Amino acid sequence: MNKKDEISHRPKGTFASRFRQQASLQMILLLGLLFLAVFSYVPMVGIIISFKEYKLSTGLMGFFTSEWVGFKWFIEFFTSPMCFKVVRNTLVLSLLKLAIAFPAPILFALLLNEIHSSKFKRLVQTASYLPHFISWIIVSGLCFTMFSSVNGLLNELLLKWGWIDGPLTILTDGKQYWGLAIGTEVWKETGWNAIIFIAAIAGIDSALYEAAQIDGANRLQRIIHVTLPGIKGTIVIMFILALGGLVNGNLDQAMMLGNNLNRDYSEIINSYVLTIGLRQFRFDYAAAVGMMQSVISVALVFSTNALSRRTTGAALY
Amino acid sequence: MTDIRKKRRRHIRSAEDWAVDITITVIMVLVVLVTVYPFYYIVIHAFNNGMDSSTGGMYFWPRRPTLENFETLLADASWGSAIFISVARTVIGTVLGVFVTSAVAYALSFEHVMFRGGYYKLYIFTMYFSGGMIPFYILLKSLGMLNTFWVYVIPGMLNVYYMLILVNFFQTIPSSLYESAWLDGAGDIRVFFQIALPLSKASLATIALFYAVSQWNSWMDSVYYVTKDELRPMSYLMMEIINKSATASTVTNAQSMGYAASAMQSTTTSLQMASMVLAVTPILIVYPFLQKYFVKGVMIGSVKG
Repeated sequence: MNKKDEISHRPKGTFASRFRQQASLQMILLLGLLFLAVFSYVPMVGIIISFKEYKLSTGLMGFFTSEWVGFKWFIEFFTSPMCFKVVRNTLVLSLLKLAIAFPAPILFALLLNEIHSSKFKRLVQTASYLPHFISWIIVSGLCFTMFSSVNGLLNELLLKWGWIDGPLTILTDGKQYWGLAIGTEVWKETGWNAIIFIAAIAGIDSALYEAAQIDGANRLQRIIHVTLPGIKGTIVIMFILALGGLVNGNLDQAMMLGNNLNRDYSEIINSYVLTIGLRQFRFDYAAAVGMMQSVISVALVFSTNALSRRTTGAALY
Repeated sequence: MTDIRKKRRRHIRSAEDWAVDITITVIMVLVVLVTVYPFYYIVIHAFNNGMDSSTGGMYFWPRRPTLENFETLLADASWGSAIFISVARTVIGTVLGVFVTSAVAYALSFEHVMFRGGYYKLYIFTMYFSGGMIPFYILLKSLGMLNTFWVYVIPGMLNVYYMLILVNFFQTIPSSLYESAWLDGAGDIRVFFQIALPLSKASLATIALFYAVSQWNSWMDSVYYVTKDELRPMSYLMMEIINKSATASTVTNAQSMGYAASAMQSTTTSLQMASMVLAVTPILIVYPFLQKYFVKGVMIGSVKG
């Protein structure tokens, strides 16, 4: 038996005496659980209002006392004109992110690994983390500074050099929103998300590189045949995690970079829930829309996890 | 990458190696520029005369250096109060968060704790499922937390993901360190304060950074859960000022933005730059020093997570 347990904690004894022995630990864990019960589990119960006619004045008890209305809110959402746009934007943005913002950190880590000077490497890494720590408010402020069609730096330079005739309308043109969203996402999170891949690459046995080099593999071939297979497991796990967030969308981004001019392309399910729920106070309808999203998201995680277990052997659960 | 490999490469550097190295260096320099220059650009504009900035063409250093943008901002009472709220929520939120998270993680790190599996499941479940924003809002309203300072710091007190990182860390503390304290008759709580916490400074610093950054940056809670002006944090005012200069980016008349600042010739844009500099500076000062730790933290978290 572990000595630590003998001394303080695992007396042979009844259930009650064991519990008393570790009462302070149990107290901490129960308080933590109480906290989660209030702030996580109570709202989960609240999802029930998706099927009810809910009034805010009824408070928490209203979760139970309100009248059932079945699938009324779901039907209303699916037949509303916003439904198509909101779902399309959420899905398109998510898929674009998966196709572009997901591989970007892998590519970045691979490039970083090819730098010999450790000082330069460190500089690049430190700089690349910075955007992760700033808020989307600042990012949108930077976007206005850089891309504004009135006094943005980009337009100023391009006009000065004569590369364009009129200012680019990156921030106000709905058709350009998707590009803007992906671009800012890549700019903000690539360095941070690369951490895990950099660590995985560092864990690859250097003898493998030696062997490949002796066999005459050039650098690109070494990346393809040694590095990439070496981090395959990490890539799969991170991919499954990314899929979990697939339909969540980036609420901060949608709120800050979305505006009335690009609304048709920037409104995602999450921001739509906030608009109808907390601006128009239609709590029941908004909860229904929000719930649909979390159901899809959870289903996606579990199905990709199962698929991945079967095909690659790597899985989260 | 080992030293041997580096040496070897230096010996047999081919033309291809050179080409690849140069390409990668160029790409990485561009990456650093694209990441850092926008920040540099707002800094030089924040420290430049507003009217002068609006004529454009300033890329490398301030043309008419001045502190008037910051003076205007700080003279505004609402900014003073907002900075106070931001600092207060960051300090209180971080202290509460680190304390609660580490206490729970400490308790969960003992393998002999009763119902450990059950606690784990109930805690982790909340990472994957949530009730969504609407029921959460109803909850806050019912608790009477709307329009109070506490809505900023209480709900985020226990981040389960950070807790798991800390559990992993506490488990690496050798039990022999606890034993002598136990033999001296110290209880679990005392061991927590006198042994576990002092041994975990690096991990706690990482978690503190995560809490502090999210508190400092947070703005949506102020938009939806608070209506009182005196509870607005800096990020909220910044959002307002950015939205204003976005919708009225042609307007350079500071008076129309509600700042009696035309005499000081600070345009809204310059004030926006100054506020962004104020918001970014604390982060910029802190994160490079904690880099070593948070890199480790992220890795531990994702291995388990």
